[in-house]
Amino acid sequence: MIRFERHTLENGLRVIAHRDEGTPMVTTNILYDVGARDEDPGSTGLAHLFEHLMFGGTREVPLFDFPVMMAGGENNAFTNNDFTNYYITLPVNNLETALWLEADRMTGLDLSEERIMTQKSVVTEEYRQRYLNQPYGDLLLLLRPLAYKVHPYRWPAIGIDISHIGKADTISAGKFYRKFYNASNAILSVAGNVAPDEVFRLAEKWFGDKPRAPRRRRRLPVEPDQNKRRQIVAERRVPSAQLIMAWHTDGRNSRDFIVLDMLTDILSGCESARFPNLLVREKEVFSEADIYLSGETDPGLVIFSGKLRNGIDIRKAEEAVEEELFRLSAVPVTDAELEKARNRYESLRLISHLSASNKAFNLALHELLGDAEGINRERERYMSVTAGEMAVTAARTFLPSNCSIIHYIPKEQ
Amino acid sequence: MKDALPLRAPAINIPSPGDTSFPACTRLSNGVPVYLIGNGPEGLIRIEFVFNAGQRTESVHLASAATNAMLTEGTYLHDAATINNLIDMTGALFSPNADKDSAGLVTVTLTRKLDEVMSLAEEVLFHPSFPEREFRMMKDKRMQAFLIGRQRTAVRAREEFYRALCGDETPYGRVTCAEDYASLSVLHLHDFHSAHYMPRNMYITVAGRNPEQVLPLLERHFSGEGSGPWSKPVITAPLFSSASPGVIHCEVKDSVQSTVRMGWKGITRDHPDYLGLQVATMLLGGYFGSRLMRKIREEKGYTYGIHAVAGAFHSIGYIAIMTDVANAWREETVMEIRKEITHLQRDLVSDDELQVVRNHTMGEIARLFDGPFSVADAIKGIVDYDAGLDYYTRFAETVNNITPGKIKELFNTYFNQEEAYIIIAGTA
Repeated sequence: MIRFERHTLENGLRVIAHRDEGTPMVTTNILYDVGARDEDPGSTGLAHLFEHLMFGGTREVPLFDFPVMMAGGENNAFTNNDFTNYYITLPVNNLETALWLEADRMTGLDLSEERIMTQKSVVTEEYRQRYLNQPYGDLLLLLRPLAYKVHPYRWPAIGIDISHIGKADTISAGKFYRKFYNASNAILSVAGNVAPDEVFRLAEKWFGDKPRAPRRRRRLPVEPDQNKRRQIVAERRVPSAQLIMAWHTDGRNSRDFIVLDMLTDILSGCESARFPNLLVREKEVFSEADIYLSGETDPGLVIFSGKLRNGIDIRKAEEAVEEELFRLSAVPVTDAELEKARNRYESLRLISHLSASNKAFNLALHELLGDAEGINRERERYMSVTAGEMAVTAARTFLPSNCSIIHYIPKEQ
Repeated sequence: MKDALPLRAPAINIPSPGDTSFPACTRLSNGVPVYLIGNGPEGLIRIEFVFNAGQRTESVHLASAATNAMLTEGTYLHDAATINNLIDMTGALFSPNADKDSAGLVTVTLTRKLDEVMSLAEEVLFHPSFPEREFRMMKDKRMQAFLIGRQRTAVRAREEFYRALCGDETPYGRVTCAEDYASLSVLHLHDFHSAHYMPRNMYITVAGRNPEQVLPLLERHFSGEGSGPWSKPVITAPLFSSASPGVIHCEVKDSVQSTVRMGWKGITRDHPDYLGLQVATMLLGGYFGSRLMRKIREEKGYTYGIHAVAGAFHSIGYIAIMTDVANAWREETVMEIRKEITHLQRDLVSDDELQVVRNHTMGEIARLFDGPFSVADAIKGIVDYDAGLDYYTRFAETVNNITPGKIKELFNTYFNQEEAYIIIAGTA
């Protein structure tokens, strides 16, 4: 049970306070409800570029990192398709420094031509480092446009193409900033040894004068049901083939999400799970075989990813996965498998509660999903999943017509 | 310091490292050291078993890593599928790990499953059977990962650096080749295991609430005499043969970026300058606002990130600067790094900049001691290298007392430009 209190400021800023007496540090986590899904298809990658710009300094604080480091803190941020998340962890007696910095860059950012030019270059190198200069690095870049035709999940947070970033300028950045970076579009979550009332008082002190902006309503195109199997082949200079199979499923708040989260754990969550046991050890089709949820807010994907053993035909590998998934309806999940998944869930949940910064982020995430209290209801939701439910959801999800497939194979040298 | 910040800014409290002491060691009846690290949440506990069985101790290349990876692949009591199923039923996480100077197993378990988990830990650590079929599969899998590594510029540059620094014939500098996998057999694993995985060659850390509760279980499973009573590892230094300094190009076909790794021979933990050198490298490239990050990333935009570290294995230290840059920018990057080092060798750093590094480092130390699982991680580096349980107390003192003059001296002593190795891994 994670105890917390919530308070919303006049200007719409939602504030969550969790008291953790076991740590000398405090984390301020500020989540902005803007991600790659909110971008214009003609200028993708802007949300992520903007995350970089948020460290570029303001009129009041030209070097963002200077006061953070002075206060003994560390900070970072990440952007995904759904949201952009910033955090600072520092000694608890410097909490106010973190709040001052976050409040300052919510409205005071210095969006100079020069800053934007440099960060465009940094992001281009990030793109090369993560996706182009790694074997298999572009796999997930290929998957999105294959699985999604309409919904903005069809592009990754880095952008459809790196040339989009090249077009960003002070005007587009300024427009983006004013539209998405305001109090009513943010959730501030603070975890550490601080009384909630004190957190609320300080939030009021630093964020209280921020203007109120109307709460945005997101209207995104709905991805139509997929009714035909899709497949592409990508030839790359890699030593061994990789198979990706992805099926559409429901959003983060749905029952299916929880059911499939448990089911994918039973299929590949540990060494003795079905895939490692049958597809890797027994049949020796793959050297690694993993299945997981993409974890997005809107309807997302269940993704199978397997590295093939040398000499195995990729179509045969695909059949082996399908056979295992089909077998789920014939041979339901056993009590032992269910108990294993429950014990693992319990361990992982306690591990995720070890750090205050992790709790701060998860509280903000649940609030974004609708209610921070969800963090305390999740355990019950996972524990109540039954074998029967898993069979039904599996039969509904793992349909060939609902599947997008990538054969990622070595290029003949 | 307040003058550097705008009027509205809240006053900053000078960060304190907090309590930097590690628990004293208690011992099992056979002398095995156990470090009990208390506090943390109810219900979860982490036990780590560390053996003096790292790469340094192997006579056949890959024996240390392969032995460690095979621990959970079958025992004399259970085959691979069964032992994994027994482990997974408890919900515990078993992570075998092998490094250059130690190897072992981390277990994280629900406290209520402690009994079963400790008995399983004993089984995999002391009674693995190294079955042929699992051994072949493990080798195939590692071979695949090895081939993928051949295409990673960062991996290649790191290997070439250690080769240049330590020499091909030492365990720290040896670069793996495909034949090493082919010639490895289960006999090598049996030999390596019986020579290194025994109580006299290990220590244990326990992190979580009421860590004492684990002691009777540890006594039951790990106090066997084995080959004799516990004894402190004796470290013999390998015969290092360093390459001559200069540029080493490592061809990685079709790479779109190059990894630039610039490095020097450093010093070991027992050297009086070791802690000061930590501060100097932090200033150069150890945090987001460091000299190199500001210059190479934030000003030039050549890279997504650049970092500098000073570390040490047993008997040899190293200093390294590493970054991934566009192929076209690698020469400029080396030039800019050289310029930055020249500045630090010529000019004194300002009190303001040194204060930032001080405060940031104090925060880092405080984070290392934030929670029992972090402390367990930190203590491993201390015990493995016999760095002294007061290491972080001394480090905090050094951070507080170091002067701009000393920093300049360190750059002149340890960052000699003529003695640098410059590894460039990428397309020619």
